Amino acid sequence: MKTRYFSLLILLFAICFGANAQRAKSVILVYLDGGPAQTDTFDPKPNAGRNYYGNLKDVCKTNVEGIEIGQKLPLLATMADKYSLIRSMTHGSNAHETGHYAMITGDTSRGAVVYPSFGAVISYMLRDTYKGVLPCYISLTSANSRFNEGGFLGNTYKSFDTGGRPEWAEFEVEGVVNKFVDKERMNKRMALLNKFEGENSMDKKLIDSLRASNMEFIWGESREAFNLKDEPDSVKQRYGKNRLGQSCLVARKLVEAGVPFVNVRTTGWDTHKKHFQRMNTMLPQLDKALSALIADLDARGLLENTIVVCGGEFGRTPKVLWEAPWNGGRAHYGKTFSYLVAGGGFLGGRVVGKTDKTGENVVERAVCPCDLIGTIYLLMGIDPYGTLPHVSEGDLPILPSLLEKKSDGLLYEIIDIKKPDYEK
Amino acid sequence: MKKVLIFTLCLLFTTLQVVAKERCSDEVFLRRTYLTVTGALPTPQECVKFLDSTSPNKREVLVNRLLNSELGLKYMQMRWGDILRIKSEFPSNLWPNGVQAYNRWVYEQLLNNVPYDQMVRKLLLSEGSNFRAPAVNFYRGFQKRSPENVYANINLLFLGDRNCTDNGHLCFSQVKFKSTKEWKEEIIYLDIHQKLPTQKIVLKDGTVLTPKLDNDWREEYVSWLTSPSNRRFAEVMVNRLWFWVFGKGIVHEPDDWNENNKPSDPALLKELTDYFIKNKFDIRKMMKRILLSDEFNSKAAPEGFYVPQRLPAEVIVDALASTTGKWSTYSSRVPEPFTFYPPRTRSTHLGDATVSSSELELFGKVSRDVSLESQRNNAITSRQLLYLMNSSALERRIRKSDTLKQIYLDNGDLPSVANAITLLVLSRRATPEEISLYEEYQKQDNLPLMELAFDIMWMQLNSNEFLYNH
Repeated sequence: MKTRYFSLLILLFAICFGANAQRAKSVILVYLDGGPAQTDTFDPKPNAGRNYYGNLKDVCKTNVEGIEIGQKLPLLATMADKYSLIRSMTHGSNAHETGHYAMITGDTSRGAVVYPSFGAVISYMLRDTYKGVLPCYISLTSANSRFNEGGFLGNTYKSFDTGGRPEWAEFEVEGVVNKFVDKERMNKRMALLNKFEGENSMDKKLIDSLRASNMEFIWGESREAFNLKDEPDSVKQRYGKNRLGQSCLVARKLVEAGVPFVNVRTTGWDTHKKHFQRMNTMLPQLDKALSALIADLDARGLLENTIVVCGGEFGRTPKVLWEAPWNGGRAHYGKTFSYLVAGGGFLGGRVVGKTDKTGENVVERAVCPCDLIGTIYLLMGIDPYGTLPHVSEGDLPILPSLLEKKSDGLLYEIIDIKKPDYEK
Repeated sequence: MKKVLIFTLCLLFTTLQVVAKERCSDEVFLRRTYLTVTGALPTPQECVKFLDSTSPNKREVLVNRLLNSELGLKYMQMRWGDILRIKSEFPSNLWPNGVQAYNRWVYEQLLNNVPYDQMVRKLLLSEGSNFRAPAVNFYRGFQKRSPENVYANINLLFLGDRNCTDNGHLCFSQVKFKSTKEWKEEIIYLDIHQKLPTQKIVLKDGTVLTPKLDNDWREEYVSWLTSPSNRRFAEVMVNRLWFWVFGKGIVHEPDDWNENNKPSDPALLKELTDYFIKNKFDIRKMMKRILLSDEFNSKAAPEGFYVPQRLPAEVIVDALASTTGKWSTYSSRVPEPFTFYPPRTRSTHLGDATVSSSELELFGKVSRDVSLESQRNNAITSRQLLYLMNSSALERRIRKSDTLKQIYLDNGDLPSVANAITLLVLSRRATPEEISLYEEYQKQDNLPLMELAFDIMWMQLNSNEFLYNH
């Protein structure tokens, strides 16, 4: 009880002094599961030679002077004023599960506690204020299951996995879109169930109310956010008619409908072998999807309060493994890699951090996962130095790694909030 | 006046006791026991056999059979796996080979019904390779492998103590880790030449331990821990078994024993603990004692003692598979070596919290991040109901169900089809009232029998009679 008053006081304090001025209403995480190569995407090193840059030769000059990105990303190059790049992300782990955990929770403290994903934290923080029929935190088409995504907050705040395939004619969102059963049949089934159960069955009241709200979700207007059938073909083409592209299109529609957190998870980035061949198809898909998403959000006036963030659990070795059995592959690399951020208070046309000429080491402004996630919290109006309740450990810091001060902290250089005095 | 009052109270009390002891029906007992001991539904054949049996001790025979069955042992193995946090990846990071060896070890203890005190002894006094001496995985499954952290976990697991402040961790300071050239093999060894701790080791009950140079210091602690005179050790396990059966401990939470958390029924706890110690920590006997108790044989609340519980995630997922005949396949492609489970593997038998599915996640599969029982969340959520109500994946499984098709082929008319579905899903026969309900339903649209079968199965899988152990 005491802590509740205390946090209320802090909240009042924060409101009065504008410390937590909320810039963003939603986050879209475009998660490149497997680990994309930073040198082929946002931190190209064309002068490092074939042993590093592989068969690529060129870069794309962007519309912002001095910023260059990978050769296969020409569409994103036309809009660098809309996003910023972090080229010095680091956590040092080359193992998938530890990398995922670091990038999705921001926790690199190696403590005994499993932290929740930042999507789960955001949906926990919005538990009383978000009133939408659509879930607060949605994954297209499933969340990462390499660790417990709900962390110590438990199952309640995990993402809603849509399942299904947005790129197919019918996007069968699990539990929502079911072509076998129409409304009439469902109503009849529900009536049968009601008669069968009678009045005295277990948790009847609770279950009935949950069922009623589900009926609203299934048959109400909100399911339209998942419906791509009525989208013009030109729009679908622009995003790319593949899973990533159509997922990004759904993500835009969900954010438009007010969903606070959408996780677009795309796999296949773990390119130990055939790296360059695979990049030839994957990078153009990413280029299309991400550029269409940012441009579309911008055109609809949504970019202003929607954060778009894109990256994976780590990067890939800047040095190409030409030898067998890899034959031109790239391995895991957690020492340094890149992220893209846009919208929701993030400024465009900036670059944070710098790597050396081969892209193997950070030479300027290391950014830890907690710096990025803490900045997202800040823009979402969540105190990055606040706490979360743990069932047996009491209140724990929301980002323990931020308190370790291993880096230069939150990314004030690319957001439109000034660094407060206590951070200096 | 006073006498009348006392008389009425006494009367009320006896009636209440009678009510508490009123036995549940055979249908309820069968399903409840199956789900509690094996995490699986009885097959329709087993239902019919049990329900039609006139043997006076059929409940005891059933309990004995299930406690000794592979299904029963494997479900118990899952319970142990939850609290020992058996998992390939983050945060236990035992890796698949270690996980398999560890699970095998747990299974063997249960199969041979190794007394609880000896099992804990073997676990805590283990040393060697994680592949060859699987119990050492106990020491490996922590992000922080400090003696303090290991000791805190021992206190939580075996003494239900969340806030241990004594310095018994010093007994575990000889434990060291050494990697080998083998992929993910690790040797857990003791540095027995380590200097004796300068601090005096005093445990919470005042016992002073005096470890000797060139010896395994853990021995001193473990002998104290597992001794019958350390009553708390036995109490915690008895209470945990009670919790596993009823979903609520006599001390609750079952892993939070402290002065402010009193047992709800001290006499019962004492009686059970005495029984456990007298029977030399025999877990199977203890389980049998609980399953044959009046409490377990009572009607469901509010009429009786047994409080219905939502089925655990793995149990629901397996029940959806066994009733529709459409099983999920499980695999773990990472980390290496890849693991592929045989078709029709039950999710209760996966043995590795890293292996999962969207369905398991939805219903709250335990992630094994911590050893707390409370990590298993069996609260019903709207998303779970949404999935049952309107998932096209589940609808497809019903429509393509081999079991349903067989029922349709074997039975020609509505009453026998409905009866067979009810046996399959709810482990009982359909009542005449239910049959007329279905008949009425069918008449509405003149539904073909197969379509009606889909709807009945959908309806029963959505009913809370299915979702709960009652």
